[in-house]
Amino acid sequence: MSGRARIVAAIVAKDLRALTRDRFYLIITVLGLVAYVAIFWVLPSTVDETIEIGVHQTGLDRFIDQLGDGQGLTVTSFGSADALRAAVERGDEVTVGVSFPPEFLDRVRAGEPTTVTVYLGGEVPDAVRAVVAGSVRELAFLAAGELPPVTLPAERVVVLGEDRVGNQISVRERARPLFAFFVLVVETMALAALVASEIQARTASAVLVTPAKVSDLLVAKGILGTLLAFGESLVLMAAIAGLSSYPGTVLLLLALGAILVTGFGLLAGSSGADFVGIVFWTMAFMIPLAVPAIGVLFPGSATGWVKALPSWGLVDGLLRVSAYGEGIGSLGTQLVALAVWCVVAFVAGWIVLKRRVVRL
Amino acid sequence: MAIQVRDLTFSYGGGVKAVDGISFDVAPGEILGVLGPNGAGKSTTIKMLTGMLDPGAGSITVLGLPMPERKEEIQARIGVCFEEKNLYPQMTGRENLAFFARLYGIRHFEPDPLLERVGLFDRRNDRVADYSKGMRQRLMVARALVNGPEVLFLDEPTDGLDPVSARSVRAIIEAEAERGVAVVLTTHDMYEADQLSNRVAFIDEGRILTIDTPEHLKLTHGRRSVKVKLLRDGNEVTETVPLDGDGATERLERLLESGTILTIHTEEATLEDIFVELAGRRLE
Repeated sequence: MSGRARIVAAIVAKDLRALTRDRFYLIITVLGLVAYVAIFWVLPSTVDETIEIGVHQTGLDRFIDQLGDGQGLTVTSFGSADALRAAVERGDEVTVGVSFPPEFLDRVRAGEPTTVTVYLGGEVPDAVRAVVAGSVRELAFLAAGELPPVTLPAERVVVLGEDRVGNQISVRERARPLFAFFVLVVETMALAALVASEIQARTASAVLVTPAKVSDLLVAKGILGTLLAFGESLVLMAAIAGLSSYPGTVLLLLALGAILVTGFGLLAGSSGADFVGIVFWTMAFMIPLAVPAIGVLFPGSATGWVKALPSWGLVDGLLRVSAYGEGIGSLGTQLVALAVWCVVAFVAGWIVLKRRVVRL
Repeated sequence: MAIQVRDLTFSYGGGVKAVDGISFDVAPGEILGVLGPNGAGKSTTIKMLTGMLDPGAGSITVLGLPMPERKEEIQARIGVCFEEKNLYPQMTGRENLAFFARLYGIRHFEPDPLLERVGLFDRRNDRVADYSKGMRQRLMVARALVNGPEVLFLDEPTDGLDPVSARSVRAIIEAEAERGVAVVLTTHDMYEADQLSNRVAFIDEGRILTIDTPEHLKLTHGRRSVKVKLLRDGNEVTETVPLDGDGATERLERLLESGTILTIHTEEATLEDIFVELAGRRLE
């Protein structure tokens, strides 16, 4: 083993020993892993995204059967508009109702305006309202044989919730990248605390008057942080069946994610003046990074800017591989974005930490 | 020479010179005491000598090697004891020493003899977090000796120690000097500097005011006197007679004949007195 490698190995071993003797870190790490795995397996594993629509119509049976066929819609016919309205109000059978006027077909075919009444339950989300509006237009199209003169709504911009009609995933599947991200964040905080204690206690000074260089210290922190973050996220993914699809691609994503959070860990650890400062800086970095992960749980809630966040490539990549079974070939954008952010975070963390250490 | 410093200068941001053209040598086996108030430039000088800061100007040679050009080789042969107790509290005394031995590339390092030497053998397997301030200080001294250094930089090595422990640490420093180690000792303790140092350097505002043996400094800058307590006409009287200048013997004779002597002591200037005379202010 060369002199430099020996020094780096000594620092890594020392830091690992310090971490294993940190009860708070150990408890948080073990409890976190157990909790994430337990929560994952109790989350719903099935998807029920069928929209139940009640319809009162006249002479539209054929078209309505076509509309409900394989479109994620369950259509129930009602004999009157009042019965439909009452059913929507009760909300037990249908939550959305569409009442077509008797002259609907004739007017549409003649290209004349007509009015369709849509009843919506109070809890019906905007996304479903849009679906209903689209269905009514499609019905008009089917009846008229051509696109009616209606302005279509502007295309909705969804970052992680792209059109997956017929390919929806369960909450459990959505939670997988979120939990992986949380595990990486815990490791980030652990590394930040380790770096900060080295600076505040000035133990770094003692190391740097030996043959050890600043670069040895930085490499050692980087290696330990990356290995810990990667190892723990790997254990988690194995425990929540995240390696069953394209495991090599998942490992690549986790490795890049570990490098990313290690960079931020170095930044946070060398930015805070004390424990409160470390927590502040860790949160300052991690809250924006958590947005893509949380966005996966709520598709449609995020917009295009989320793609610019450093963790987007990691979260979206993990989601696509583990939930949708996509291979590395379709993850070009995610991998490039993640790799670029890895370099940025690591270089920034390296520079800030080096500045702090040499000023001790 | 173990250490040669020539016209060493360093400025932090703002242009104020923390170290302003200082020069000195330290021979193998010599203990140089560096005295000066806070902010005088002592720590900055030590940082440059140990490779933690690059000099702004001037030259440093340690063990015949230029600093910082041959920093790594020099650092492998020096030991540093910081004023801050910068030990790893989660690790035991043994583990702390063993870790630094690995940084120096020492194979099969055995920390126990060193721990025995500083009186920590019985607590060698306790975590440093459970050590008292004095025990930590002794471990700091032990850590500075891990690599068998040829040059030792000691910053307040007896700070926080009880008198017995302080005496044992001073004995270690003297033993190292006898072994041929050059020692640079930074301290506020005038007694310690006086007792241990072959020479002392007074530093103030980044400059060396003077550098000499304690004895010669006292002879050159101090004022000798005799303090006599006597019984005169039934009353205790204390008088001090300066020994420097003309007529000292006559003045002392007259005083001794004026009553019954109770006690008599010679007095000489302390290093503190000399620093005040040279710098115009106290050390603290």
